[in-house]
Amino acid sequence: MTPELVPHLVHQAAVAYSAVGAVVAAAFLLFGLDRVDPAARGAYAFRPLLVPGLVLLWPLVALRWLALARGRGLRGPAAGQTRHRRAHARIWIGLATALPVLLLAALALRQEGPLEAAPVRLPDAPAGVRSAP
Amino acid sequence: MSASHKPVGWNRTKVLYDAALLAAVAGYILAYLWVGPLIQRTSLPLDEQTLAMKAYGSCAFLMLTLVLCVGPLARLDRRFLPVLYNRRHFGVITFAVAAAHALHVLGWYFAYSHLPQTEALLAADTSYGQLRGFPFIPFGIAALLVLAVLAATSHDFWLSFLTPPVWKALHMGVYAAYALVVMHTALGALQSATNPALAVVVALSVALVGGLHVAAGARERDGAVARAAEVEPGWMATTTVDAIPEDGAVVVHLPDGEPVAVFRHGGRLSAVTNLCAHQNGPLGEGRVVDGCITCPWHGFQYRLEDGCAPPPFTERIATYRLKLDGRRVLLDPRPNAPGTRVEPVPVPGAAA
Repeated sequence: MTPELVPHLVHQAAVAYSAVGAVVAAAFLLFGLDRVDPAARGAYAFRPLLVPGLVLLWPLVALRWLALARGRGLRGPAAGQTRHRRAHARIWIGLATALPVLLLAALALRQEGPLEAAPVRLPDAPAGVRSAP
Repeated sequence: MSASHKPVGWNRTKVLYDAALLAAVAGYILAYLWVGPLIQRTSLPLDEQTLAMKAYGSCAFLMLTLVLCVGPLARLDRRFLPVLYNRRHFGVITFAVAAAHALHVLGWYFAYSHLPQTEALLAADTSYGQLRGFPFIPFGIAALLVLAVLAATSHDFWLSFLTPPVWKALHMGVYAAYALVVMHTALGALQSATNPALAVVVALSVALVGGLHVAAGARERDGAVARAAEVEPGWMATTTVDAIPEDGAVVVHLPDGEPVAVFRHGGRLSAVTNLCAHQNGPLGEGRVVDGCITCPWHGFQYRLEDGCAPPPFTERIATYRLKLDGRRVLLDPRPNAPGTRVEPVPVPGAAA
């Protein structure tokens, strides 16, 4: 697989994914929304706002739609949501450590950064490097 | 909160918030476009399109920095709560500015490409085998995609459809977006920047965002919260009656980490989960308003006795049983199903 082929395949995959997403979005808005969310019944102005999310997340939408159609509750438990708080703490300890390191590494890689060799005057250039006429 | 979905639940505060935010964004972009040409190096002038790209890109980066600072700032100092109130609009506008940056890039560099613009963008630099000059564009595309998902799922419908835990987990993707934007900037604009200003701004952003989150986390861990300890079978000692302010709460952490808010109102005590059903806001940091617990983040309300939002709203939170041992407040650590009625416990000697 050539480097040039990867962008082409990624683009084609994105187009196909969006096309399926558009179909799922249309089906959900026409046949699913009123059944899975009582607050949507009789409310139409907000529906266009849902389209981008339905297209972007159509696999998740399809799974959730299926689960709700099988009679599972719309809402999760109100208690027992501490997992995300603990994940939050771990994420920020990680990011607060990793981001400064990555930033310093990127600065070290700069063309004009500290790792770049000092410029040389052309008359002092190594053998084989010719000055312009 | 809304019993029937609307496109945007406008109120005066939100209108003023959005107007101020949009004015600030417009002011920044215009200042960048007008002042930029005056202070740039005459030996290497930037064209208008490149200047616009940098204006939108830097604006989006600064907005993302600010939007990430709002959460920890509000936890460290309640005066920042009004900024948190409409944070989702801040996030959506941040995505719009980032998308404007991307559209300027596509329109300037790839307008006449024989390939589709997004494919041309991906194919512009494929030198993944080297550290110096490592492609920075994919980091920006990935960050924009994450921001697009967050903006597209910002409506309350998504919260109820996906359930709060899933929605919250999805929206924690903003941290990944920030890390991607830092890498996009560090491997892109910072590589060719000839003055240290941009590097200083990015470093300050990283220090500010990381420092505030770590500080807020430490405050939450070591802050003024009680820890429950079992004193008799099925009951845990939490706090004392006198420590709970009228119309306020004390937050108690159970041994499994679950936070519970013990409220005092009208001389009676009630306990509910500390996590709002909307976005897991800290209910115990809120107040009792009109006889209802009111979340400090977005104003969602719940009745003290059963954890139900007043009609016509339908949100419900878990309640807990309480009893008194002298002035000590004992709590049954097993949560009741959301919306379960628990009779509030009268405080001896307190005026109702």
